Amino acid sequence: MIQLFNVIKKYGSGSPALDDISLKIERGEFVFLTGPSGAGKTTILKVLFGWEDFEEGQVLVQGINVGKLNAGNMHTLRRSIGVIFQDYKLLTNKTVFENVAFAQEVTNRDRKTIKFKTWEALKNVGLTPKKDSFPPQLSGGEQQRVAIARAMVNAPPIILADEPTGNLDQEISLEILKLFEELNRNGATIVFATHSQDILKLGNHRVIVLSRGKVVSS
Amino acid sequence: MNSAIHALLIGFRATIANVRANAQTFLISVVTIAISIGILGLFLIIFFNLNGFLASWNQQVQLITYLKDDISPAQKNNLEDLFKTNSRVQSTEEVSKDQAWQEFRLSQAERSGLELDLGFNPLPASYKIRFKMSDNRLLHISEFAEQIQNEPGVESVEYGKSWISRFEKFMVFCRVFLMATGALLSFGLILIISNTIRLSIYSRQDEIELMLLIGATPHFVKIPFLMEGMLQGLCGSLLSLGLMGVIYYYLKSEFQTSMESIARGMDFQFISEPFLLILVGASVLIGLVASYISTYQYMQVLNKR
Repeated sequence: MIQLFNVIKKYGSGSPALDDISLKIERGEFVFLTGPSGAGKTTILKVLFGWEDFEEGQVLVQGINVGKLNAGNMHTLRRSIGVIFQDYKLLTNKTVFENVAFAQEVTNRDRKTIKFKTWEALKNVGLTPKKDSFPPQLSGGEQQRVAIARAMVNAPPIILADEPTGNLDQEISLEILKLFEELNRNGATIVFATHSQDILKLGNHRVIVLSRGKVVSS
Repeated sequence: MNSAIHALLIGFRATIANVRANAQTFLISVVTIAISIGILGLFLIIFFNLNGFLASWNQQVQLITYLKDDISPAQKNNLEDLFKTNSRVQSTEEVSKDQAWQEFRLSQAERSGLELDLGFNPLPASYKIRFKMSDNRLLHISEFAEQIQNEPGVESVEYGKSWISRFEKFMVFCRVFLMATGALLSFGLILIISNTIRLSIYSRQDEIELMLLIGATPHFVKIPFLMEGMLQGLCGSLLSLGLMGVIYYYLKSEFQTSMESIARGMDFQFISEPFLLILVGASVLIGLVASYISTYQYMQVLNKR
């Protein structure tokens, strides 16, 4: 499902952010990506969904060679991946419902399907009562659940989460983790980047440890 | 073809949704465009009316041929034949010695309140010749004046040669000055409008970034922004021209009579129809180009990664 072969990524002339990384994640796996700040967790995720270029190596996601994609066909990769960020990246001038529906509008779905799928996704994350609220009116945990609903609404086979519990307390973090585990049970491959030891202990999944751009244990 | 129409329809729906969601930014852009187009429109109104004013002065230039007191009927006939055979002559008016004296006495009496009585008539008879409108009207007057001033029975000709020469230079200067000012003004306004639209797009960089993140195609991202830019240009120019139209009809109803007394026969003009269309079209085009450049540049930055 996801394979990296000797990937090297540099920012400027400093030491590489990803230093000869090779790893493999199977279909339907739940993987934690961990390590200290600057270890390369976010960079790996960005490389996987084509947001960052890389200097050397090969990246295969769902059989797509990421390095060969250009601006014109990058959407084919990104439509098979749901991405969740620590800062949620919600549009503050759109309601909860509109934020989730937005992810389907870009894929040219018809209005009826959009409405139905959005409603379903919000139900799955327990946010139907807040569908008309705007993101600033929600708590951090609620905003992250909106982001998860947006990521899962197109039923992508892969979900990448970059520190999704970084801004949340432990109780809410656990709820969010459970949502990811539910998505995983439904067949999605999850790559969950976190530096929280509590989350790693709570979720009994494979852990890939990074340090200074290298995989130190997998 | 169908997919292109489908994409445009989706783009249009997204544009309307974007305008609603960002109503304040949209309104600010529209008002800025309206003000810019308004400045250019006012300039055009001044330009057209000044041009009309100069043309109406130009129209009043006529050639006066003064006749010798002892001119024979044959010489007069010869002169009249010359006027008739010149295709550029519009009309000829004969002013007899008595008529000239009467007109002079009346005008003097109006000015000073005194009745002139010299006991003789010092004024010559004359012909007032008006010429048809043409590009080289003043040149034709000057050529014809030279032709007839040596004819027998002609005392002298007058058409304000030095004044016309100065007036022509003034007209050329006015037109060049106005055109240069108009070009500079247009350039400045293009920059203002395009920067306004660019700022409105930059304020929504997060939205563009998110669209790309969740798998939107470059066209899907661009089309609503391009349509919004065009819509901003269209609304701004229509708002501005509508307001100017109202102000124009008010000014015309208030000041047309005064204008006519300054320049006889001159009508206080609005911007001509072709220029109205050009203004609206240019505004829409600037909106489109500015939006295209801004989205393209921002997407290039994101795609460089």
